[in-house]
Amino acid sequence: MQRAVALGLGILAWIGVAAVAVASVNAWSGDNQVLAFLPIIGAVVVAWAVGEVVTARVFGEQEDR
Amino acid sequence: MPLERIFRRQQLHDPGFVRLIFSDTLLAPLWMVARVYLGYQWLLAGWHKLYGDDRWIYVAGPDGLPLKSFWERSVAIPAPPGRPVISYDWYRDFLDFMLRHEWYQWFSWIIAIGEVTIGIALIIGVFTGFAALAGAFMNFNFLLAGSASTNPVLFIIALLVMFGWKVAGWIGVDRWLLPALGTPWEPGTAAREVGRGLHLPAVHREAATS
Repeated sequence: MQRAVALGLGILAWIGVAAVAVASVNAWSGDNQVLAFLPIIGAVVVAWAVGEVVTARVFGEQEDR
Repeated sequence: MPLERIFRRQQLHDPGFVRLIFSDTLLAPLWMVARVYLGYQWLLAGWHKLYGDDRWIYVAGPDGLPLKSFWERSVAIPAPPGRPVISYDWYRDFLDFMLRHEWYQWFSWIIAIGEVTIGIALIIGVFTGFAALAGAFMNFNFLLAGSASTNPVLFIIALLVMFGWKVAGWIGVDRWLLPALGTPWEPGTAAREVGRGLHLPAVHREAATS
């Protein structure tokens, strides 16, 4: 169960990055490219942190047992 | 024998700095910025073709009219001393063939959806090497068709990301996907599980379980 939640959270995080990317490009691409680029980089870093903190920890614990 | 010396097999190893750049996760943050920038450029280019007032597809009337105009400009041969936009005759014939058969109507869908897909794949870092390869292929075709624009710069970045495929998606989905799937020469954890479940021929089974 814990594995499924961790995996689901990881997948959701990266789907979220794609959603942020599309929303940013749709909202700000015409005005300021930096304004659209920064939220995307931010979302990637957040999704990476979710993977390293949640997913890696849960799957690491499972493998250690 | 000189011929034997010429064709003698030997493996030459990459220097340390090449391995640091293209194979070490230490530089993954740099690859992430390059990859996301490239993906952002593709998403930006594709999104306008897919959605909005100036979109290429799903419009009233035939789809891909902007693509048709682009192809028409590309294949045109001006009177001397003007020079044609396309340098290679075979590529001009190829575009002309597609133009005459009105392929721009469905080809515009491929370009719009392809650019958005490449952009999202690069941003989230899924199959980064393949996404960069597809992007480079599109840049290459735009360049052959005579459109410089941002294509030379994006082409170079795509080539670099392709060479750095092992680490370019490390801060991305590939961090999880590549170890699971592996490669044809080194199956990953999930591929090995599948290999055990299937009754593969001996040679494949050996590779899958090693």
